[in-house]
Amino acid sequence: MKINMNFGTITRWELKNTLKSKKFILIFFMQLSVLAMLIFMFNSFAANIESEQGLSITPSLVDFATLDVDDPGGLFKKGINPEIIKIYTTNGNSSLVRLETGETSGFYTVSPNSIERIQKGEIVDTTLYLDYADPRRSVIKDEINTTTKSVATALTQSYLKSANPQNTTQTGLTEEKTGESLPMQIIRKVMLVVLLFLPLFLFGNIIIDSVVGEKERKTAEILVAMPIRPWEILLGKGLAVVVISALQVVMWMVVLIAAGFTINNVILVYLLVVLTAVPIVGLTSIIAAYAKNYKEAGIGITFAYILVVGFLIVPALAYISRKSFSANISPMTTAMRLFAGETITIPEIFISISAVIILSIIFFTVAAWLFGRDDVIFGPRPGPFKLTLQLLRIKKR
Amino acid sequence: MDLNSDQVMIKIDSLNKSFGRIRALEDLNLEIEKGELLGLIGPNGAGKTTAIRIICCILQPSSGEVTVGGYSIHHDQIKIKSMIGYLPEEPNLYERFKARDLLKYFGELYGVPKNEINGRIDDLLELVGMSHRADDRINTFSKGLRQRIGIARALIHDPEVIIFDEPTMGLDPATSRAIRNFIKELKGDKTVILCTHYMDEADLLCDRVAILNQGKIHDLGTPGYLKEKIHGDTILQVRVHNPQKIDNAQLLAVNSVESVNLEGNLFLISLRSREDISQIIDLFGAEAISVNTKEPTLDDVFIQTTQ
Repeated sequence: MKINMNFGTITRWELKNTLKSKKFILIFFMQLSVLAMLIFMFNSFAANIESEQGLSITPSLVDFATLDVDDPGGLFKKGINPEIIKIYTTNGNSSLVRLETGETSGFYTVSPNSIERIQKGEIVDTTLYLDYADPRRSVIKDEINTTTKSVATALTQSYLKSANPQNTTQTGLTEEKTGESLPMQIIRKVMLVVLLFLPLFLFGNIIIDSVVGEKERKTAEILVAMPIRPWEILLGKGLAVVVISALQVVMWMVVLIAAGFTINNVILVYLLVVLTAVPIVGLTSIIAAYAKNYKEAGIGITFAYILVVGFLIVPALAYISRKSFSANISPMTTAMRLFAGETITIPEIFISISAVIILSIIFFTVAAWLFGRDDVIFGPRPGPFKLTLQLLRIKKR
Repeated sequence: MDLNSDQVMIKIDSLNKSFGRIRALEDLNLEIEKGELLGLIGPNGAGKTTAIRIICCILQPSSGEVTVGGYSIHHDQIKIKSMIGYLPEEPNLYERFKARDLLKYFGELYGVPKNEINGRIDDLLELVGMSHRADDRINTFSKGLRQRIGIARALIHDPEVIIFDEPTMGLDPATSRAIRNFIKELKGDKTVILCTHYMDEADLLCDRVAILNQGKIHDLGTPGYLKEKIHGDTILQVRVHNPQKIDNAQLLAVNSVESVNLEGNLFLISLRSREDISQIIDLFGAEAISVNTKEPTLDDVFIQTTQ
């Protein structure tokens, strides 16, 4: 009798049964609605967090607020971050009316002859009109403050450069930074990437139910008696969960894009997120293969997912503060950079994908090894330490 | 009994299995002929299920060899598994599946050709009398119905070897009878191992019976041979007022007495012949309440062998 590649059969049946389950469908759409609510909260309630410097940090989305800008010289307008504030160029005639009617969140006006004044060494006046009933005013104020400071710093640097080129590297002058503040980057970039990776952690229960359930319901005996290899069983079950995660990630991304998030390189980001699901499912499979019951699996999965989240998020945060190459070992870093539209080199992509593939192979191999052991499945189960020694071939079975 | 190698379907050679310090099987040797229905009987913990699970490649032996159809459990597990249909003690089927879907799932896993699978499912459902419940979920079935579906599942790939572990345990008499009749029909066509606690079942169905105790085969033979070997011709049953007043040594001293067992206040005396019955009854004297003779059964063999 011909033996098929049975993992495909297992995947197909697991998917069929999972997607037919009313409980699963309910959970699936509940997760989507939680995401939608989360985004709605971000959009509706811009909670301000005051930093030590009095800097107002607000979780923001693209085009968070509209600002009418009257800057004929264009010097200041260029410095405003368009990812945060949608600029409406105006000559100032109707802006105050627009502000009153709520069509715009603020009005920023710069002296019409700003460039001439600078050339003459005179002070340039800028005025910012804000509606104090609008909670977004703090973000606009911060952004304009940053812009004004950046322009001023740039002008100072330029002046020093022409006066004494040797001094351009002086401390205090060159360390001034422009662009988004670090906390703002963390909130905007990391929050989005975390939301993108979140579905990968939501379906661990399926693999646990699928593998530990076989032991608890005592169906493992007939499954193991099938002409199927242990790796085929685990791969088949794991693949079903990866497919479900992939489906959820698609819907997740649709919701995020519909809510106004900008995701560059959508396909690449999607593939990277789905690829990351494979080692996570592999690690969950190890826990499922070893756990005697749901309780044990639940404890195991909690610890394992804390480690996984650490592995994913810490390098991403590290990358924001220090643009380190090694931070790309986390696919979350690479995904974050991809959707932000950054240019990524082949070695950076390579390190990220290699980490995912290597971890997937290791995790699935260990899970299959455990699932293929009769003592692990039917008992008496050896302890983790003994198993580790046996896995490393330090101790014979 | 030494079998020609062409006739042998399952060969167990010096099989040992330990679970930690517990030795479940100890130097087990057994040969099962093609088309034979072999009964495995023994008390709880005798090692029956362990032996079966090793044959099915569910458990790995500590040492020793088992071949099924010439294939080794150490090297050809996939081949062996595809040759065996296994019905565990508890059918433990997937609750959310419909009966037909369950059979289809296992049929696909066993590699049954797609163009044959539906026809085979219909035939098996008919065979186990479950056609009318084909589209019902397993969780709506009673234990007996689950067992029927379990049998159909074990046969979905038309295996050469079928292993039943306590197939009638806990079932009502009518369902038990139906399943026994079904197993009987498999005789000759398939090699069957029947693991059971019911001696009458083994007596009725099996070509040979192996009595397993503490991981070892204590005896092996046809039911008739075993009954004759252990008990001789007759069992004398004597119910008494006070068993402590009876001297066993006196009973055993009688020529035709093979063995004496006591169950409560009932003496079971195995006799090689009937000639000394009156002498034995005299030994009981006024203590005897009732006296009866019966032909030995496998129950008696089981008790005698495993005590």
